[in-house]
Amino acid sequence: MIITEQKAFAELLSLLERHQSVFVVGCGVCATTWRTGGEPEVKALLSELSAAGKQSTGWTITAEACCDARLTRRILKQSSTALKITDAIVVMACGAGTQTVASLVELPVYPGLNTIGLSQIQSLSLALERCRLCGDCMLAETAGICPVARCPKGLMNGPCGGYQDGKCEVDRTQDCAWVLIYERLQTLGQEARLAIISEPKDWSRMRSPRVADKKAAQLAAKE
Amino acid sequence: MEPVSRLGKALTARQFAVTVEIGPPKGADVSHLLATAENLREYAHAVNITDQQSSVMTLGSLAACHLLLDLGIEPVYQVTCRDRNRIALQSDLLSAYALGIRNVLCLTGDHVSLGDHPQALPVFDLDSVTLLCTLRTLETGRDLAGKKLAGVPHFFAGAVVSPGANPLGPQIAKMEKKIRAGAQFFQTQAVYDPGQLERFIHKVEHLGVPIMAGIIPLKSAGMARFMNRNIAGVEVPDSLIEEMTGTSDRVLTSISIASRLIRDMKDMCQGVHLMPIGWAKVANSLTDRAILG
Repeated sequence: MIITEQKAFAELLSLLERHQSVFVVGCGVCATTWRTGGEPEVKALLSELSAAGKQSTGWTITAEACCDARLTRRILKQSSTALKITDAIVVMACGAGTQTVASLVELPVYPGLNTIGLSQIQSLSLALERCRLCGDCMLAETAGICPVARCPKGLMNGPCGGYQDGKCEVDRTQDCAWVLIYERLQTLGQEARLAIISEPKDWSRMRSPRVADKKAAQLAAKE
Repeated sequence: MEPVSRLGKALTARQFAVTVEIGPPKGADVSHLLATAENLREYAHAVNITDQQSSVMTLGSLAACHLLLDLGIEPVYQVTCRDRNRIALQSDLLSAYALGIRNVLCLTGDHVSLGDHPQALPVFDLDSVTLLCTLRTLETGRDLAGKKLAGVPHFFAGAVVSPGANPLGPQIAKMEKKIRAGAQFFQTQAVYDPGQLERFIHKVEHLGVPIMAGIIPLKSAGMARFMNRNIAGVEVPDSLIEEMTGTSDRVLTSISIASRLIRDMKDMCQGVHLMPIGWAKVANSLTDRAILG
């Protein structure tokens, strides 16, 4: 799931300094589950904005993911009357959702959230980053534990010298990813993998902007 | 092939070797750095120059190594993967060779969050293992892209290991990788308990690679406690902390502790690597005793 956190209200207010009427869009998937941009959060933001002297022109939560342009286009159309009297839109979704809204309207669009990770949700108050979208999954070599996401240095060949009692030097509350990998490879009887030197990673697969174009890929495969 | 440096020749010939680590200044004035290195000339086989140690920005290791060579002092060029990608690292290795630098110590590098520019983007395009592989690739006359080099470098390459790592298994697994990647010697994290080094050496003896035991002379009891809390793999026993607390002459006690450690560990390893952190005079008297003792 994409994990987001709410921007400080003062920061958001300064972004909206030149605008009077505001429309708020929430996301029906990630931000709803993680409770940063679902209906309760959207309503809470609206009442804060109103207390700060802003005028609300309305709100909506996308039925599916806010980043799905097909559905979000439809939902925004349903609010077209409200949007005509709107100065600015605040989107309580991840960066992809916010940009999707921005691509569909001719209004200033502001992020209400910061996007902080592709994570495993442990509980409604704890999410653990698990993927950095490197484009070249190496989990088969590392016992299902990603060193790109879970080691602050993204090391590919074992731990640095900074772990102590199995904990990471950068954040003592976190396990060293490579100690976990080492132990799990042994549990799985795959300790032979510990000896394999991983070559320098091909970061070109992480080069932005990445476009996933299935049709183009099919055509390329045919040629 | 014959080792390409004095340090390499000494370690290969199974002589007991001494290296001392010094850090370049934060600023452009190298006079203190050079004076410190000058004092080490007759004691140390080579002088390590740190590369933005602890992620604190300083004058560069490459330039400082070059200045040492001008004085006729053999440097160990420390290279970390934190600040440069594979293009810059290969380029710097070629530059180092062209400047006459032969000893290279390949490290991953501390994370930027521990230093004085915690907002910086950490690179880690390569790691200590792939940096060693890169160095060996350059020695074949090709770069990482497979392109032919005009002029081929040759280095004496080292790496680091932490005998006090807990758990030790992953540390040794990585050490084995470093050896297969081309590491010809190891300098260790600071050791304060000869028993700890002995247990470690026992586990890695079969690897047959020269190991230089790391020594950081204690400056005070407070420093020892600080390291115990904050430096991974460093464990100063209470008895040494008490010794530092009780002394009226910290320099003398520090020298006495360190020379005792060197004496007790001398037969287990192939040399000592001193990290005096500013106490260069202490290093001088230690290297003297280490060689004679």
